[in-house]
Amino acid sequence: MSAASTTLPSVSLAARARWPWAAYGLLTPSAIFLLAFTYWPVLLVVLNSLTVTGFHGVAHWGLDNFGRLFADDHFGAAVRNNIVYAIGTIAPSLVLALGFALGLKDTTRFSSALRTAIALPMLIPLVAAASLFVFIFLPSAGLLDYYLGRFGLSETNWLGDPSLALGSIIAITIWKNTGYYMLFFLAGLAGIPQDLLDAAKIDGARPWQRFRHITLPLLGPTISFVLIVALLNVLTQVDHVIVMTQGGPSDSTSMLLFYIYQQAHQNYDVGLASAATVMSVGVLFALSVLSLRSLERGIHHEV
Amino acid sequence: MRILQVATMAFGLMTGAAHAATELDLFFPVPVQGKLATEMQRLIEEFDKTHPDIHVTAVYTGSYDDTNLKTRAAIQAGKPPGAVIMSANFVREYAINEDAIPLDSIIAKSGETPAQFMEKFWPALRINAIEQGHVYGVPFQNSTPLMYYSVDAFKEVGLDPDHPPATWQEWADALRKLAKHDGDKTTRWGVMFPGTYDYLGWIVSGLAMANGGQYYNTGYGGEVYYNTPTTIGAVKLIDTMIHQWHVMPEGVTDANAVTTAFFQGRTAMMVLSTGSLSFVRENMKTPYKVAFLPRQFVNAAPIGGASLIIPRGNSPERQAAAWTLINWLTSPEIAGGWSRFTGYFAPRIAAYDLPEMKTYIAEHPDAKVALDQLAYARGWFSTYNVVGVRKALEDGVQAVLSGKATPEAAMAKAQAEADALMKPYVEQTALKLPH
Repeated sequence: MSAASTTLPSVSLAARARWPWAAYGLLTPSAIFLLAFTYWPVLLVVLNSLTVTGFHGVAHWGLDNFGRLFADDHFGAAVRNNIVYAIGTIAPSLVLALGFALGLKDTTRFSSALRTAIALPMLIPLVAAASLFVFIFLPSAGLLDYYLGRFGLSETNWLGDPSLALGSIIAITIWKNTGYYMLFFLAGLAGIPQDLLDAAKIDGARPWQRFRHITLPLLGPTISFVLIVALLNVLTQVDHVIVMTQGGPSDSTSMLLFYIYQQAHQNYDVGLASAATVMSVGVLFALSVLSLRSLERGIHHEV
Repeated sequence: MRILQVATMAFGLMTGAAHAATELDLFFPVPVQGKLATEMQRLIEEFDKTHPDIHVTAVYTGSYDDTNLKTRAAIQAGKPPGAVIMSANFVREYAINEDAIPLDSIIAKSGETPAQFMEKFWPALRINAIEQGHVYGVPFQNSTPLMYYSVDAFKEVGLDPDHPPATWQEWADALRKLAKHDGDKTTRWGVMFPGTYDYLGWIVSGLAMANGGQYYNTGYGGEVYYNTPTTIGAVKLIDTMIHQWHVMPEGVTDANAVTTAFFQGRTAMMVLSTGSLSFVRENMKTPYKVAFLPRQFVNAAPIGGASLIIPRGNSPERQAAAWTLINWLTSPEIAGGWSRFTGYFAPRIAAYDLPEMKTYIAEHPDAKVALDQLAYARGWFSTYNVVGVRKALEDGVQAVLSGKATPEAAMAKAQAEADALMKPYVEQTALKLPH
């Protein structure tokens, strides 16, 4: 017993001495991957954004790429479209998702069937969904126009009209993401203590008041989290644009990531693509910091 | 030295037989509708069977643009494919950037001069295969835009299906007869064609050439003629069809929508690649015919399709194996078979001397029209930064298709954008003076 009590501190001292090396050893594998596949590419992108090259010309350092970027109408169009897309997809899909979650939070056979139905689109890969919607949106022959035609509406070129194409892309995104966000809200709602709601009920709070003053504040962290996910989706989902419109007609559905893809792979303008990447990652980073801050605030509120 | 080379070659050949076969990958796109990928796999299996010393893996790489992208990525990663079926208008850019190898020396080994070698292919195809006097591409599958039309629709409005419109004037008259309107709704359009990227630029270039234009400089990759009367006139024709005569739907229509509308009788004509001939033949239930792209002044149609190239970075051994594959794929027998399967015409002139090809042409008058149009074919639009330069025009024309811009304004803007995209190349070439 005494032997054990005397050896124990010495073991822990020895362990403490070896500790940093063991820790570093254990961290090395993931550090290698992080360095090779995250930090190194990030560094390369930043370097590329500052490297100005011409055809068979000598490269030099400078901010020309950023100058060209801001002067490029296509970049302006991509930013504008991305903002419209962000507002157009995030607001409706979050409101719908929350609505569905509130309506379907009690588990009955009917509500679980509906939940499955609403969550189903998230299981379909975006590329596959986009390929299907190309046919649904076919002017006149597609499902959508076929049924609208029965109400006497004439054919609509959903993806080929610059004033409608972005709206069509937004509609698919809402359809695709709402179910996914609903799942988060369902989980968030399950975490709200029932006794709080019951107490409010006894105190005479009406359903709207209970939602406004209990459910919504307690859902704060969930909302912030879903908002971050939705913001990331807005900047990182591009599959449907590539499949359905290629950014057209006339740039009306071009978005930041698609613009970067075009510059890098169609025009081989690595400098411009890198500059656009730096800009969009910067915005993404700023938005994430803001959202995470409000997320933390939400948690404090709960406590 | 020479003896040493021969000795090593002989040694290489001897040990080569004992060694494993040369591994080669072939990147191939499928740019038109149909079961082309399956047929390509079958062809490559046949090649592997008949060539035990080479083992080829056929890699399906998507559209022409995707194939270009994947090839560039593979070259940059240091693992280039042995051969690529590359959109013929990208070949120039590969030559300019030195991403493909000139084939002159390999051709010389088989005892031919590059000129002799190219003589085996239709003249119009040579423009996109040769850059600055050197052979970079071997034509494999080729096409031109064709006008497809429904015989029933023609008969219904009293047009003679045996005399399709040949000039823009006749086209305009026919279109206005063929389109059927029911109040606000159009129950049948006069004509449709794809307005999506790649296809649109190709068709506009055809109309500009039929309007007497050059569209681009075939000899130099830094000049395009967008803001010129011939191109503006072509875009004006399309604008008028949509917004004045209402014989073509507004906005951008993709190839699927065009063929679906044609099959369902919702458009009387469509302009589509000859590469879609087999697809249309299999799916069109009512009689149809094909005709040349109508002319304003001259019959003209741009070449489309793909050539085989060997990317840089391949070992001499792989280059030789790739050359064997390329020769096999472009032989009259294989090229003819591929032509009959797809509807593309065979680039090899000799393919049409084969009995099975003669029977095929006799049985399929539509394939005959495609072949006849070859006499008027021109080179396919190719420049430095070709995708971006093409897209500049297409963005402009799409704005016209949607009624958001006038042809004049759209082409002025397209020209400025295209010039900006080609500027780095132009500055280092045509504008560069000797020291």
